[in-house]
Amino acid sequence: MDLAAPHLGFVLAAYGLSLLVLGGLVLWLRHRSRTLAQAVQQLEAEGAPRRRAIAGAP
Amino acid sequence: MQQFANPRRFLKLIDAVEPWAWAFTVILLAVGLYLSLVVAPQDYQQGETVRIMFVHVPAAWMALLAYLDMALASAVAIIFRHPLADIAAKAAAPIGACFTFLALATGSLWGKPMWGTWWVWDARLTSMFVLFLLYLGYIAIWHAIDDPGRAARIAAIVALVGCINLPIIKFSVDWWNTLHQPASVFRIGGPTLHPAILAPLLVMGAAYLALFVTLHLTAIRAEIMARRLRQMELARADEV
Amino acid sequence: MTALAAVITRDLRLALRQGGGAGIALGFFLTVLVLIPLGIGPDVALLARIAPGTLWIALLLSVLLSADRIFEPDHDDGSLEIMTLGPVPLELIVLAKAAAHWLATALPMALAAPFLGLLLNLDPALLLPLGLSMLPASLALSLLASLVAAVTVGLKRGGLLLSILALPLYLPALIFGVAASAGDDTLSASRSAALLILLALVLLALVIAPFAGAAALRAHLR
Repeated sequence: MDLAAPHLGFVLAAYGLSLLVLGGLVLWLRHRSRTLAQAVQQLEAEGAPRRRAIAGAP
Repeated sequence: MQQFANPRRFLKLIDAVEPWAWAFTVILLAVGLYLSLVVAPQDYQQGETVRIMFVHVPAAWMALLAYLDMALASAVAIIFRHPLADIAAKAAAPIGACFTFLALATGSLWGKPMWGTWWVWDARLTSMFVLFLLYLGYIAIWHAIDDPGRAARIAAIVALVGCINLPIIKFSVDWWNTLHQPASVFRIGGPTLHPAILAPLLVMGAAYLALFVTLHLTAIRAEIMARRLRQMELARADEV
Repeated sequence: MTALAAVITRDLRLALRQGGGAGIALGFFLTVLVLIPLGIGPDVALLARIAPGTLWIALLLSVLLSADRIFEPDHDDGSLEIMTLGPVPLELIVLAKAAAHWLATALPMALAAPFLGLLLNLDPALLLPLGLSMLPASLALSLLASLVAAVTVGLKRGGLLLSILALPLYLPALIFGVAASAGDDTLSASRSAALLILLALVLLALVIAPFAGAAALRAHLR
């Protein structure tokens, strides 16, 4: 890659933005997955039932 | 397909597959980036900026693929009432929206040195913009309706109508573009795709595909968890 | 058939009286068409060039503005649920309401548009193509408006959602509508082609809107 190329900034910006957005997406999804799993585990430890007691509840 | 209707079993499947998916993604990305930034030659017209194509086009491909994925999942949800179909569709949406945003943003960054403006109403970018709106509308529906079951049905309808609309939009925007821009100012990739340009493009395309699949699996897991959490909270409230 | 006519008549009567959707839409239509030349300037040549596009955009926005009145009032007072339980299939109800909306709102605007176009210095040769293309297109616009209204009925902030969902649906109609009603003599062939595509879009809307709209209403009312 020619580092003195006239529009190099655009190339770097494009790759950088892609990294930022996709990386952010990865981090957000993994964080969300982990947080929810923890919350479910917490409730399971407290003995919360999995199915609703009232039949036909949504 | 039916055996995976059980979310618990599907979660086990995701857990088993995920590390491999990540490994695959990382390897493909590494190779792809190397090819794109180091190996691929300069373009005789565009110089170094042709490298933007290697993040722009795969993003656009994934933007479209994610929508088709969403529409397919929505169709399965409506026709077969497979419980995981709604979840799969909902999970795909933010990912697709991100890819669409990237396609638009990198398209602008590619266009500025080429056409001199940040935005051009050419057929491709305009279609991408409308696709972005389709994603936003779909995501907004999920947030606007409280009951997940109801939201799922309405969202599925929105996704399917949007899917039918997509080729029509593409066709009409192409028509509109040729009407207003008879001479093709710029052809992405140049007159033909030289093999030296094609290889990095395909590898990056594969890398983005692997990334999409991996992210989709993660998102599906999160959605299953969210649903289970809600059920447990509601069940506990019943007990009180 | 009489049930269908009954729904149409009822909706028409509701729309045409004071405070009904028709007045609001027409008022908005006129407002836009007066504001555009005032905002852009009296450059006659420029106005003539943008006249077809402007008329189409004004039509689109006006139809969109009155869209939420198609189902919302009936949803609020419970008559929509009663309609769901009645003998008439929900798909036909949606079709009837779309037809009523068209007759009360979109069609009058489409008929008035060519003449109001003279305010924008519309080329007289384009009066007929504009009228011919707006007539069927306005039906498509009403049908698609009913579809989106059915999807967003009863939702808070439904108005914003309605616009976001409607735009991609309206885009092809706008593109081909303008293409069918603009340009000079050299473009008459492409105008005819655009008109045919526009008619195809109307037929498509005629099929999709009732079914998708009814499905959405059922999901809302379950």
